Amino acid sequence: MTRPLSILALGAALTASSVAAEGTLTISVYSFAQDAYKKALYDPFEEMCGCELVIETGNSIERMAKIEANAADPVIDMAVISSHDALSLANKGLLQPLDPAKLSSFDKLYPAAQDPLGGNMAVGYTFYASSIVYREDLVSIESWADLLGDGLAGNVSLPNITGTQGPLTLMMLDKAAGGDASDFTGTISAIGEHADDIVTFYSRSSELAQLMNQEEVIAAPVGRFAWSRFKSSPLPFAWADPAEGQAGGMNVMIMTANNGNEELAYKLMDYWLSTEVQTRVAEALIDSPANMEVVVSDEVAENLTYGAELINSLNILDPATIIANRDAWVDQWNTEVIR
Amino acid sequence: MFLSRSEGLALALPAALFTFLVFLVPVGILLSVAFQTDTGAWSLQGYVDFFAQPLNQKVFFRTLKLGILVAGTAAVIGYLAAFCIVNLPATSRGRIFGLVVLPLMISPVARTYAWIVILGRTGIVNDVIVGLGLSSTPIRLLFTETAVFIGLLQLFLPLMIISLVSAMENIPRDVVPAARVLGASWFQVFFRIILPLTKEGLVIGGTLVFTGALTAYITPAILGGSKVLMLETLLYQKVNVSNDFVSASVIAMILIVMCFSANLALKRIASVKR
Repeated sequence: MTRPLSILALGAALTASSVAAEGTLTISVYSFAQDAYKKALYDPFEEMCGCELVIETGNSIERMAKIEANAADPVIDMAVISSHDALSLANKGLLQPLDPAKLSSFDKLYPAAQDPLGGNMAVGYTFYASSIVYREDLVSIESWADLLGDGLAGNVSLPNITGTQGPLTLMMLDKAAGGDASDFTGTISAIGEHADDIVTFYSRSSELAQLMNQEEVIAAPVGRFAWSRFKSSPLPFAWADPAEGQAGGMNVMIMTANNGNEELAYKLMDYWLSTEVQTRVAEALIDSPANMEVVVSDEVAENLTYGAELINSLNILDPATIIANRDAWVDQWNTEVIR
Repeated sequence: MFLSRSEGLALALPAALFTFLVFLVPVGILLSVAFQTDTGAWSLQGYVDFFAQPLNQKVFFRTLKLGILVAGTAAVIGYLAAFCIVNLPATSRGRIFGLVVLPLMISPVARTYAWIVILGRTGIVNDVIVGLGLSSTPIRLLFTETAVFIGLLQLFLPLMIISLVSAMENIPRDVVPAARVLGASWFQVFFRIILPLTKEGLVIGGTLVFTGALTAYITPAILGGSKVLMLETLLYQKVNVSNDFVSASVIAMILIVMCFSANLALKRIASVKR
């Protein structure tokens, strides 16, 4: 190859790699349902934009640690995460505010999903209700307080305080005891007093599904996203409608600060929030929609946190409360509950 | 043997380099965190903070207790099994020894999940207990220290038996019958003949079982859950839940010290002459 040709080839190669880099978006997502997400979201998006998606998965802690460790030169462009974890990242200055004008589906979102953290630091893409799944042939659940009652002693499991469901359970137990969700000290102490009646403190919904299918546990709080695991069981599981209502949470989309790939990230966010994709994701029973225009069959709705009436009735714990108190809750939990 | 010193060193160099680069260096870097503060200054504060927490103290002593109990019980059962195996005819010995080794070829995850089925409320043990009228309702066996103890013992007992069988095979076959003929009780035979002659096997088996029980993660995680935390499960929590690498490194260092201490203590005990 002559020298000019070599230079030309080198230039072409550099240009090609530069084009490829511009067409690559790295996102950080939860590990679950990745095959279903590939079909419902990733593949159609790559086809539509002519770009490449790089998917990074892991638990929240790992994913947050990666965003923080690469803050100076972000590896992750966009992520989906719980609202309180998003707030934690925003407080550290690792996120950039979103521009609603660049999201054509923004106005179609439930109001609670449009700016859940304030300052447009995130946008909600899915809601989930949390209530108590129980064996309807063995017990009836009228209140969250039943979890610590004599009827379930030795047969109940609670979520660990360190997971997403833990603080929600504290909030609802506090509400059942007449509290106003401002201080969970008494609730944690009450759980500590009943620690011997609790079979175990589970960390993952899959772990709970296994325990309940093996009849080790007959009632436990869990997110609605895990309901399909119980519904398909031969055992008669039911979803409680306690007097205090259901707890709820939201997962959000965030954009890392100074990632340089904002345009493509907005494209994916907008596509993900569109009625088309939110419907497809809902029908695949992956995530419940945050887009108000999504319409699904009753059968699909049964498995999701679906509809304005339900979403507006959820007891949602303020992410700022979780961030401000989590360390103190964990300390008290380790002292009084795990012992 | 047939190699000069330099040839031997040259042959060992690739393995030594590999071990140094991909094991010792990363582990050293990771463990150095256990001696540093958040600002990077060298300090033992991580250890002070760790042991100041009542939960951590409890987890430490529970891990130590279960390690000792599992190693001690494995030694007792191991001596009985090993004595039986070495006195079998050669063909039977091979078959029985194969059965002892067989569980080691099965994944610890599968073996531990089997205990969930056996110890669960609807498992075999509770069926027997309720069937015999010992209890009107199934009793709680899973997520207890007992479940973790049983799981760990089953997991590591083969290592003790293998070590003790190897040691006992080196005892001259006439020694025990001779002692018996001369009037020694079985108690005396064990403590004055078998134990001194197999102490090396006991040290190896004891170290393997104790360190295995201390550092096992899957069995305490599945059979003990978050209510029966051990140092390994606590370490996992520190990394994957709290993102607290200082505490995790402190726990890793404590585990390493415990393992080396156990080996030294067993060697010391074995070196005491009667």
